[in-house]
Amino acid sequence: MHCKELESVLEAEGLEQLSKDARLHLATCGACQGLLADFNSITATAKALPAEVNPPDRIWISLRAQLEAEGLIKEPVEGSEKASWWESFVAAWKPRSFAAVAAAALVVAAAVYVKRVPQNGASDVAKKQTPVESLRPAQPQVAAVPPVTALPANAAPAQGSVPSKTKELAPSPSESASFTLNQAELDVPNMQLAGNSQVDAALRQNLRTLNAFIAECELRLKQNPQDELAREYLYTAYQQKADLLAAMMESGRGEN
Amino acid sequence: MCASSVIPGTTLGATRRIRPISGAATGQLARQRPAQPVALTEAEAIRLAQAGNAAAFEFLYQLHGRRVYALCLRMVGNPADAEDLMQEAFLQLFRKIGTFRGESAFSTWLHRMTVNVVLMRLRKKSLPTDSLEETLEPDAENSAPKRDVGAPDLRLTGAVDRVNLERCIEQLPPGYRSVFVLHDVQGYEHNEIAGIMGCSVGNSKSQLHKARTRLRELLQEELRQQAREERKAAKSPTGSLD
Repeated sequence: MHCKELESVLEAEGLEQLSKDARLHLATCGACQGLLADFNSITATAKALPAEVNPPDRIWISLRAQLEAEGLIKEPVEGSEKASWWESFVAAWKPRSFAAVAAAALVVAAAVYVKRVPQNGASDVAKKQTPVESLRPAQPQVAAVPPVTALPANAAPAQGSVPSKTKELAPSPSESASFTLNQAELDVPNMQLAGNSQVDAALRQNLRTLNAFIAECELRLKQNPQDELAREYLYTAYQQKADLLAAMMESGRGEN
Repeated sequence: MCASSVIPGTTLGATRRIRPISGAATGQLARQRPAQPVALTEAEAIRLAQAGNAAAFEFLYQLHGRRVYALCLRMVGNPADAEDLMQEAFLQLFRKIGTFRGESAFSTWLHRMTVNVVLMRLRKKSLPTDSLEETLEPDAENSAPKRDVGAPDLRLTGAVDRVNLERCIEQLPPGYRSVFVLHDVQGYEHNEIAGIMGCSVGNSKSQLHKARTRLRELLQEELRQQAREERKAAKSPTGSLD
Protein backbone atom coordinates (compact mmCIF):
# COMPACT_ATOMS: atom_id res chain seq x y z
CA MET A 1 0.00 0.00 0.00
CA HIS A 2 1.18 3.51 -0.80
CA CYS A 3 0.58 6.79 1.03
CA LYS A 4 -2.04 7.88 -1.51
CA GLU A 5 -3.95 4.63 -1.02
CA LEU A 6 -3.87 5.04 2.72
CA GLU A 7 -5.37 8.46 2.36
CA SER A 8 -8.19 6.99 0.28
CA VAL A 9 -8.77 4.43 3.01
CA LEU A 10 -8.89 7.15 5.66
CA GLU A 11 -11.38 9.07 3.53
CA ALA A 12 -13.65 6.11 2.94
CA GLU A 13 -13.38 4.26 6.24
CA GLY A 14 -12.53 6.91 8.77
CA LEU A 15 -9.81 6.82 11.38
CA GLU A 16 -10.78 3.88 13.49
CA GLN A 17 -11.29 0.65 11.61
CA LEU A 18 -8.19 0.42 9.49
CA SER A 19 -7.52 -2.65 7.41
CA LYS A 20 -4.51 -4.88 7.94
CA ASP A 21 -2.85 -3.46 4.82
CA ALA A 22 -3.32 0.06 6.09
CA ARG A 23 -1.88 -0.79 9.47
CA LEU A 24 1.13 -2.47 7.83
CA HIS A 25 1.78 0.65 5.80
CA LEU A 26 1.40 2.86 8.84
CA ALA A 27 3.97 0.83 10.74
CA THR A 28 6.60 1.71 8.16
CA CYS A 29 5.65 5.22 7.02
CA GLY A 30 6.42 8.17 9.27
CA ALA A 31 4.52 10.68 7.13
CA CYS A 32 1.30 8.66 7.29
CA GLN A 33 1.77 8.10 11.01
CA GLY A 34 1.99 11.87 11.38
CA LEU A 35 -1.12 12.39 9.29
CA LEU A 36 -3.12 9.91 11.33
CA ALA A 37 -1.82 11.31 14.62
CA ASP A 38 -2.78 14.82 13.54
CA PHE A 39 -6.25 13.72 12.47
CA ASN A 40 -6.71 11.97 15.80
CA SER A 41 -5.57 15.08 17.60
CA ILE A 42 -8.02 17.25 15.64
CA THR A 43 -10.98 14.92 16.22
CA ALA A 44 -10.17 14.55 19.92
CA THR A 45 -10.10 18.33 20.36
CA ALA A 46 -13.27 18.72 18.31
CA LYS A 47 -15.04 16.18 20.53
CA ALA A 48 -14.09 18.29 23.54
CA LEU A 49 -15.85 21.33 22.09
CA PRO A 50 -19.34 21.81 23.54
CA ALA A 51 -21.95 20.29 21.25
CA GLU A 52 -24.65 22.32 22.98
CA VAL A 53 -24.60 26.00 23.84
CA ASN A 54 -27.35 27.74 25.75
CA PRO A 55 -29.02 30.30 23.52
CA PRO A 56 -30.04 33.63 25.05
CA ASP A 57 -33.59 33.61 26.39
CA ARG A 58 -34.57 36.51 24.18
CA ILE A 59 -34.54 34.25 21.12
CA TRP A 60 -37.49 32.28 22.40
CA ILE A 61 -39.31 35.44 23.48
CA SER A 62 -38.88 36.91 20.06
CA LEU A 63 -39.72 33.66 18.30
CA ARG A 64 -42.80 33.21 20.41
CA ALA A 65 -43.98 36.72 19.57
CA GLN A 66 -43.48 35.95 15.90
CA LEU A 67 -45.41 32.69 16.19
CA GLU A 68 -48.22 34.56 17.92
CA ALA A 69 -48.21 37.25 15.27
CA GLU A 70 -48.41 34.68 12.48
CA GLY A 71 -51.21 32.82 14.23
CA LEU A 72 -49.21 29.60 14.47
CA ILE A 73 -49.83 29.46 18.19
CA LYS A 74 -53.50 29.05 18.76
CA GLU A 75 -55.26 30.40 21.82
CA PRO A 76 -55.69 27.65 24.41
CA VAL A 77 -59.24 26.95 25.54
CA GLU A 78 -59.92 28.22 29.08
CA GLY A 79 -59.21 25.51 31.61
CA SER A 80 -58.15 24.78 35.12
CA GLU A 81 -54.43 25.18 34.45
CA LYS A 82 -52.69 28.33 35.45
CA ALA A 83 -51.84 30.34 32.39
CA SER A 84 -48.19 30.80 31.47
CA TRP A 85 -46.68 34.26 31.88
CA TRP A 86 -47.07 34.92 28.20
CA GLU A 87 -50.70 33.88 28.14
CA SER A 88 -51.33 36.09 31.15
CA PHE A 89 -49.45 38.90 29.46
CA VAL A 90 -51.49 38.65 26.30
CA ALA A 91 -54.72 38.23 28.25
CA ALA A 92 -53.94 41.24 30.42
CA TRP A 93 -52.82 43.37 27.54
CA LYS A 94 -55.62 42.77 25.09
CA PRO A 95 -58.48 44.72 26.67
CA ARG A 96 -56.31 47.69 27.57
CA SER A 97 -56.72 51.04 26.04
CA PHE A 98 -54.36 51.57 23.16
CA ALA A 99 -54.23 55.28 23.95
CA ALA A 100 -52.46 54.68 27.24
CA VAL A 101 -50.01 52.32 25.60
CA ALA A 102 -49.32 54.79 22.83
CA ALA A 103 -48.64 57.55 25.34
CA ALA A 104 -46.07 55.44 27.15
CA ALA A 105 -44.55 54.36 23.88
CA LEU A 106 -44.12 58.00 22.87
CA VAL A 107 -41.85 58.56 25.85
CA VAL A 108 -39.59 55.75 24.74
CA ALA A 109 -39.72 56.83 21.13
CA ALA A 110 -38.66 60.31 22.19
CA ALA A 111 -35.69 58.92 24.05
CA VAL A 112 -34.69 56.88 21.03
CA TYR A 113 -35.09 59.97 18.89
CA VAL A 114 -32.70 61.92 21.09
CA LYS A 115 -30.09 59.24 20.55
CA ARG A 116 -30.48 59.21 16.81
CA VAL A 117 -30.06 62.94 16.43
CA PRO A 118 -26.65 63.39 18.04
CA GLN A 119 -25.43 60.14 16.47
CA ASN A 120 -26.24 61.34 13.01
CA GLY A 121 -25.24 64.89 13.32
CA ALA A 122 -22.92 65.59 16.20
CA SER A 123 -19.72 64.29 14.63
CA ASP A 124 -19.81 66.55 11.62
CA VAL A 125 -22.25 69.09 12.85
CA ALA A 126 -19.88 71.99 12.46
CA LYS A 127 -19.27 71.11 8.86
CA LYS A 128 -22.77 70.51 7.66
CA GLN A 129 -26.29 71.31 8.80
CA THR A 130 -28.34 68.21 8.01
CA PRO A 131 -32.13 68.18 7.80
CA VAL A 132 -32.17 66.06 10.94
CA GLU A 133 -30.12 68.61 12.80
CA SER A 134 -32.49 71.37 11.80
CA LEU A 135 -35.18 69.53 13.76
CA ARG A 136 -33.18 69.57 17.00
CA PRO A 137 -35.00 72.34 18.83
CA ALA A 138 -38.34 70.69 18.20
CA GLN A 139 -38.23 68.07 20.98
CA PRO A 140 -41.35 68.68 23.01
CA GLN A 141 -41.65 65.08 24.18
CA VAL A 142 -38.18 65.12 25.66
CA ALA A 143 -38.85 68.38 27.42
CA ALA A 144 -41.58 66.64 29.35
CA VAL A 145 -39.16 64.05 30.70
CA PRO A 146 -37.74 65.17 34.07
CA PRO A 147 -34.12 63.99 33.81
CA VAL A 148 -33.64 65.50 30.41
CA THR A 149 -34.99 68.88 31.36
CA ALA A 150 -32.88 68.88 34.48
CA LEU A 151 -29.71 68.38 32.51
CA PRO A 152 -28.18 70.91 30.15
CA ALA A 153 -28.90 68.85 27.03
CA ASN A 154 -31.93 70.95 26.21
CA ALA A 155 -30.08 74.07 27.11
CA ALA A 156 -27.79 73.61 24.17
CA PRO A 157 -27.35 77.11 22.84
CA ALA A 158 -28.02 76.95 19.17
CA GLN A 159 -28.80 74.40 16.57
CA GLY A 160 -25.78 72.91 14.91
CA SER A 161 -23.31 73.72 17.69
CA VAL A 162 -23.40 71.16 20.45
CA PRO A 163 -20.42 71.68 22.73
CA SER A 164 -18.62 68.49 23.58
CA LYS A 165 -19.02 69.10 27.30
CA THR A 166 -22.77 69.33 26.89
CA LYS A 167 -22.69 66.16 24.91
CA GLU A 168 -20.95 64.37 27.75
CA LEU A 169 -23.46 65.61 30.28
CA ALA A 170 -26.50 64.80 28.21
CA PRO A 171 -28.13 61.55 29.20
CA SER A 172 -27.99 58.72 26.71
CA PRO A 173 -31.34 57.62 25.33
CA SER A 174 -31.02 54.44 27.38
CA GLU A 175 -30.62 56.51 30.52
CA SER A 176 -33.54 58.76 29.65
CA ALA A 177 -35.82 55.91 28.76
CA SER A 178 -34.67 53.89 31.74
CA PHE A 179 -35.23 56.81 34.13
CA THR A 180 -38.65 57.59 32.73
CA LEU A 181 -39.76 54.01 32.94
CA ASN A 182 -38.33 53.57 36.43
CA GLN A 183 -40.25 56.63 37.57
CA ALA A 184 -43.41 55.17 36.16
CA GLU A 185 -42.63 51.90 37.88
CA LEU A 186 -42.46 53.50 41.34
CA ASP A 187 -46.22 53.34 41.85
CA VAL A 188 -46.56 49.75 40.79
CA PRO A 189 -45.44 47.81 43.92
CA ASN A 190 -48.35 48.94 46.06
CA MET A 191 -50.94 48.70 43.38
CA GLN A 192 -53.57 46.01 43.11
CA LEU A 193 -53.19 45.39 39.42
CA ALA A 194 -56.05 43.04 38.70
CA GLY A 195 -59.01 41.42 40.36
CA ASN A 196 -57.47 38.08 39.61
CA SER A 197 -54.37 37.46 41.73
CA GLN A 198 -52.93 35.14 39.09
CA VAL A 199 -53.04 37.89 36.50
CA ASP A 200 -51.64 40.32 39.05
CA ALA A 201 -48.73 37.97 39.75
CA ALA A 202 -48.19 37.34 36.05
CA LEU A 203 -48.00 41.07 35.33
CA ARG A 204 -45.46 41.57 38.07
CA GLN A 205 -43.50 38.58 36.83
CA ASN A 206 -43.56 40.05 33.32
CA LEU A 207 -42.16 43.27 34.68
CA ARG A 208 -39.37 41.45 36.50
CA THR A 209 -38.59 39.51 33.34
CA LEU A 210 -38.43 42.65 31.26
CA ASN A 211 -36.26 44.40 33.84
CA ALA A 212 -33.84 41.48 33.82
CA PHE A 213 -33.76 41.53 30.03
CA ILE A 214 -33.19 45.29 29.98
CA ALA A 215 -30.34 44.93 32.47
CA GLU A 216 -28.77 42.24 30.28
CA CYS A 217 -29.04 44.41 27.17
CA GLU A 218 -27.65 47.44 28.98
CA LEU A 219 -24.73 45.42 30.23
CA ARG A 220 -24.04 44.10 26.77
CA LEU A 221 -24.18 47.58 25.32
CA LYS A 222 -21.86 48.84 28.01
CA GLN A 223 -19.37 46.13 27.09
CA ASN A 224 -19.77 46.72 23.39
CA PRO A 225 -21.41 50.03 22.47
CA GLN A 226 -21.32 49.05 18.78
CA ASP A 227 -23.58 46.06 19.33
CA GLU A 228 -26.51 47.12 17.20
CA LEU A 229 -28.50 44.01 17.92
CA ALA A 230 -28.31 44.60 21.66
CA ARG A 231 -29.35 48.20 21.10
CA GLU A 232 -32.31 47.11 19.04
CA TYR A 233 -33.34 44.57 21.67
CA LEU A 234 -32.95 47.20 24.36
CA TYR A 235 -35.24 49.65 22.61
CA THR A 236 -37.76 46.93 21.95
CA ALA A 237 -37.62 45.99 25.61
CA TYR A 238 -38.15 49.62 26.65
CA GLN A 239 -41.13 49.74 24.35
CA GLN A 240 -42.50 46.54 25.86
CA LYS A 241 -41.93 47.87 29.34
CA ALA A 242 -43.74 51.07 28.47
CA ASP A 243 -46.62 49.04 27.11
CA LEU A 244 -46.67 46.83 30.15
CA LEU A 245 -46.55 49.71 32.62
CA ALA A 246 -49.34 51.46 30.77
CA ALA A 247 -51.43 48.32 30.97
CA MET A 248 -50.59 47.87 34.67
CA MET A 249 -51.47 51.43 35.57
CA GLU A 250 -54.70 51.38 33.72
CA SER A 251 -55.57 48.12 35.37
CA GLY A 252 -54.59 49.54 38.78
CA ARG A 253 -56.76 52.59 38.30
CA GLY A 254 -59.65 50.40 37.29
CA GLU A 255 -59.35 48.22 40.34
CA ASN A 256 -58.57 50.77 43.01
CA MET B 1 -36.78 34.43 31.25
CA CYS B 2 -38.80 32.25 28.98
CA ALA B 3 -41.37 30.01 30.52
CA SER B 4 -38.79 27.57 31.77
CA SER B 5 -40.77 27.23 34.96
CA VAL B 6 -43.42 25.51 32.91
CA ILE B 7 -40.95 23.11 31.39
CA PRO B 8 -38.17 22.14 33.75
CA GLY B 9 -34.62 21.09 32.72
CA THR B 10 -34.11 18.95 29.71
CA THR B 11 -31.89 16.29 28.31
CA LEU B 12 -31.82 15.73 24.61
CA GLY B 13 -33.83 12.73 23.59
CA ALA B 14 -35.26 12.20 27.04
CA THR B 15 -38.88 12.35 27.96
CA ARG B 16 -39.62 15.55 29.77
CA ARG B 17 -42.38 16.75 31.99
CA ILE B 18 -44.74 19.37 30.78
CA ARG B 19 -48.00 20.77 31.97
CA PRO B 20 -50.85 19.64 29.84
CA ILE B 21 -52.64 22.37 28.02
CA SER B 22 -56.34 22.20 28.39
CA GLY B 23 -58.38 21.91 25.25
CA ALA B 24 -58.98 19.53 22.42
CA ALA B 25 -55.40 19.61 21.21
CA THR B 26 -54.13 17.74 24.25
CA GLY B 27 -56.52 14.87 23.60
CA GLN B 28 -56.53 11.85 25.85
CA LEU B 29 -53.41 12.88 27.68
CA ALA B 30 -55.00 15.90 29.24
CA ARG B 31 -58.32 14.24 29.87
CA GLN B 32 -56.74 11.50 31.97
CA ARG B 33 -54.86 13.77 34.34
CA PRO B 34 -56.01 17.30 33.79
CA ALA B 35 -54.27 19.03 36.66
CA GLN B 36 -51.06 17.03 36.94
CA PRO B 37 -47.87 17.51 34.96
CA VAL B 38 -47.55 14.65 32.48
CA ALA B 39 -44.63 13.11 30.64
CA LEU B 40 -44.40 14.30 27.07
CA THR B 41 -42.38 12.67 24.36
CA GLU B 42 -41.03 14.40 21.32
CA ALA B 43 -43.61 12.69 19.11
CA GLU B 44 -46.46 13.92 21.31
CA ALA B 45 -45.00 17.40 21.38
CA ILE B 46 -44.84 17.40 17.58
CA ARG B 47 -48.48 16.34 17.39
CA LEU B 48 -49.50 19.08 19.82
CA ALA B 49 -47.39 21.67 18.03
CA GLN B 50 -49.10 20.74 14.78
CA ALA B 51 -52.34 21.70 16.51
CA GLY B 52 -50.86 25.05 17.54
CA ASN B 53 -50.12 24.26 21.17
CA ALA B 54 -47.81 26.91 22.59
CA ALA B 55 -46.24 24.72 25.27
CA ALA B 56 -45.42 22.06 22.69
CA PHE B 57 -43.61 24.62 20.55
CA GLU B 58 -41.60 25.64 23.54
CA PHE B 59 -40.91 22.04 24.47
CA LEU B 60 -39.44 21.38 21.02
CA TYR B 61 -37.46 24.60 21.17
CA GLN B 62 -36.04 23.72 24.58
CA LEU B 63 -35.28 20.19 23.46
CA HIS B 64 -33.28 21.11 20.36
CA GLY B 65 -32.42 24.78 20.80
CA ARG B 66 -29.02 24.33 22.39
CA ARG B 67 -27.71 22.05 19.67
CA VAL B 68 -29.11 24.24 16.95
CA TYR B 69 -27.60 27.33 18.55
CA ALA B 70 -24.20 25.62 18.88
CA LEU B 71 -24.36 24.64 15.23
CA CYS B 72 -25.29 28.16 14.12
CA LEU B 73 -22.61 29.66 16.32
CA ARG B 74 -19.88 27.47 14.87
CA MET B 75 -21.08 27.99 11.34
CA VAL B 76 -21.15 31.77 11.42
CA GLY B 77 -18.71 32.47 14.24
CA ASN B 78 -20.60 35.34 15.81
CA PRO B 79 -23.40 35.28 18.38
CA ALA B 80 -25.57 37.99 16.84
CA ASP B 81 -25.79 36.20 13.49
CA ALA B 82 -26.19 32.87 15.23
CA GLU B 83 -29.21 34.16 17.17
CA ASP B 84 -30.74 35.51 14.04
CA LEU B 85 -30.22 32.28 12.15
CA MET B 86 -31.48 30.13 14.97
CA GLN B 87 -34.68 32.12 15.16
CA GLU B 88 -35.08 31.90 11.40
CA ALA B 89 -34.51 28.14 11.43
CA PHE B 90 -37.07 27.55 14.18
CA LEU B 91 -39.53 29.87 12.54
CA GLN B 92 -39.30 27.91 9.31
CA LEU B 93 -39.59 24.69 11.24
CA PHE B 94 -42.72 25.76 13.08
CA ARG B 95 -44.28 27.16 9.93
CA LYS B 96 -43.84 23.80 8.26
CA ILE B 97 -44.44 21.56 11.23
CA GLY B 98 -47.89 20.69 9.93
CA THR B 99 -46.25 18.92 7.01
CA PHE B 100 -43.93 16.79 9.17
CA ARG B 101 -44.91 13.14 8.71
CA GLY B 102 -42.10 11.51 10.65
CA GLU B 103 -40.43 10.02 7.59
CA SER B 104 -37.08 11.20 8.93
CA ALA B 105 -36.08 11.97 12.49
CA PHE B 106 -37.35 15.31 13.71
CA SER B 107 -33.84 16.42 14.69
CA THR B 108 -32.58 15.55 11.20
CA TRP B 109 -35.37 17.62 9.71
CA LEU B 110 -34.59 20.52 12.02
CA HIS B 111 -30.86 20.35 11.37
CA ARG B 112 -31.43 20.19 7.64
CA MET B 113 -33.47 23.35 7.87
CA THR B 114 -30.84 24.99 10.04
CA VAL B 115 -27.97 24.08 7.74
CA ASN B 116 -29.95 25.35 4.75
CA VAL B 117 -30.72 28.64 6.48
CA VAL B 118 -27.09 29.06 7.50
CA LEU B 119 -25.63 28.15 4.12
CA MET B 120 -28.08 30.44 2.38
CA ARG B 121 -26.99 33.30 4.62
CA LEU B 122 -23.30 32.53 4.12
CA ARG B 123 -23.81 32.42 0.37
CA LYS B 124 -25.53 35.79 0.42
CA LYS B 125 -22.87 37.24 2.65
CA SER B 126 -19.95 35.92 0.63
CA LEU B 127 -21.16 37.28 -2.72
CA PRO B 128 -19.47 40.64 -2.52
CA THR B 129 -16.49 39.44 -0.51
CA ASP B 130 -15.22 36.42 -2.44
CA SER B 131 -11.51 36.09 -1.93
CA LEU B 132 -9.15 35.75 -4.85
CA GLU B 133 -8.44 32.16 -3.91
CA GLU B 134 -12.14 31.29 -3.94
CA THR B 135 -12.58 33.04 -7.28
CA LEU B 136 -9.75 31.06 -8.76
CA GLU B 137 -11.04 27.85 -7.26
CA PRO B 138 -14.81 28.04 -7.54
CA ASP B 139 -15.15 24.33 -6.91
CA ALA B 140 -12.80 24.24 -3.95
CA GLU B 141 -15.08 22.10 -1.84
CA ASN B 142 -15.20 19.34 -4.43
CA SER B 143 -11.55 19.32 -5.31
CA ALA B 144 -8.79 17.60 -3.40
CA PRO B 145 -7.13 19.69 -0.71
CA LYS B 146 -3.82 21.24 -1.65
CA ARG B 147 -0.63 19.79 -0.27
CA ASP B 148 2.24 22.00 0.63
CA VAL B 149 5.13 20.25 -1.04
CA GLY B 150 8.32 20.79 0.88
CA ALA B 151 6.59 22.33 3.90
CA PRO B 152 7.81 20.96 7.21
CA ASP B 153 5.49 18.28 8.49
CA LEU B 154 4.61 19.74 11.87
CA ARG B 155 3.12 17.37 14.38
CA LEU B 156 -0.04 18.73 15.91
CA THR B 157 -0.21 16.27 18.78
CA GLY B 158 -0.34 18.28 21.98
CA ALA B 159 -0.35 21.55 20.03
CA VAL B 160 -4.02 21.79 19.13
CA ASP B 161 -6.11 23.61 21.64
CA ARG B 162 -9.79 24.40 21.47
CA VAL B 163 -9.30 28.08 20.71
CA ASN B 164 -6.97 27.33 17.80
CA LEU B 165 -9.33 24.76 16.48
CA GLU B 166 -12.41 27.02 16.74
CA ARG B 167 -10.52 29.71 14.88
CA CYS B 168 -9.50 27.32 12.12
CA ILE B 169 -13.01 25.85 11.84
CA GLU B 170 -14.24 29.36 11.06
CA GLN B 171 -11.83 29.49 8.14
CA LEU B 172 -13.13 26.34 6.51
CA PRO B 173 -15.35 26.65 3.45
CA PRO B 174 -19.01 26.39 4.56
CA GLY B 175 -19.58 22.90 3.15
CA TYR B 176 -16.55 21.40 4.90
CA ARG B 177 -17.44 23.31 8.04
CA SER B 178 -20.98 21.94 8.16
CA VAL B 179 -19.89 18.33 7.83
CA PHE B 180 -17.01 18.71 10.27
CA VAL B 181 -19.15 20.38 12.93
CA LEU B 182 -21.96 17.89 12.51
CA HIS B 183 -19.67 14.85 12.63
CA ASP B 184 -16.70 15.67 14.81
CA VAL B 185 -18.28 18.20 17.18
CA GLN B 186 -21.95 17.24 17.35
CA GLY B 187 -21.43 13.52 16.89
CA TYR B 188 -23.76 12.80 13.98
CA GLU B 189 -23.15 9.71 11.84
CA HIS B 190 -22.51 9.98 8.13
CA ASN B 191 -25.95 8.63 7.21
CA GLU B 192 -27.57 11.32 9.38
CA ILE B 193 -25.35 14.00 7.88
CA ALA B 194 -26.27 12.77 4.42
CA GLY B 195 -29.93 13.29 5.40
CA ILE B 196 -29.24 16.73 6.81
CA MET B 197 -27.07 17.93 3.95
CA GLY B 198 -29.02 16.20 1.23
CA CYS B 199 -25.97 14.35 -0.09
CA SER B 200 -24.68 10.77 -0.27
CA VAL B 201 -22.90 9.05 2.61
CA GLY B 202 -19.78 8.84 0.46
CA ASN B 203 -19.92 12.55 -0.16
CA SER B 204 -20.24 13.22 3.54
CA LYS B 205 -17.17 11.06 4.26
CA SER B 206 -15.20 12.74 1.53
CA GLN B 207 -16.11 16.24 2.75
CA LEU B 208 -15.15 15.29 6.29
CA HIS B 209 -11.77 14.00 5.17
CA LYS B 210 -11.12 17.17 3.20
CA ALA B 211 -12.21 19.29 6.13
CA ARG B 212 -9.77 17.51 8.44
CA THR B 213 -6.99 17.83 5.90
CA ARG B 214 -7.67 21.54 5.49
CA LEU B 215 -7.84 22.00 9.25
CA ARG B 216 -4.49 20.28 9.59
CA GLU B 217 -2.99 22.71 7.11
CA LEU B 218 -4.53 25.69 8.88
CA LEU B 219 -3.33 24.51 12.27
CA GLN B 220 0.15 23.84 10.94
CA GLU B 221 0.18 27.33 9.47
CA GLU B 222 -0.79 28.70 12.88
CA LEU B 223 2.10 26.83 14.46
CA ARG B 224 4.51 28.17 11.86
CA GLN B 225 3.23 31.68 12.42
CA GLN B 226 3.64 31.27 16.13
CA ALA B 227 7.20 29.99 15.68
CA ARG B 228 8.03 32.91 13.39
CA GLU B 229 6.74 35.38 15.97
CA GLU B 230 8.73 33.72 18.71
CA ARG B 231 11.87 33.90 16.62
CA LYS B 232 11.24 37.54 15.83
CA ALA B 233 10.71 38.33 19.49
CA ALA B 234 13.91 36.55 20.42
CA LYS B 235 15.90 38.51 17.82
CA SER B 236 14.49 41.92 18.70
CA PRO B 237 16.46 43.98 21.28
CA THR B 238 13.57 44.01 23.71
CA GLY B 239 12.83 40.34 23.12
CA SER B 240 15.14 39.18 25.89
CA LEU B 241 13.49 41.49 28.36
CA ASP B 242 10.02 39.97 27.86
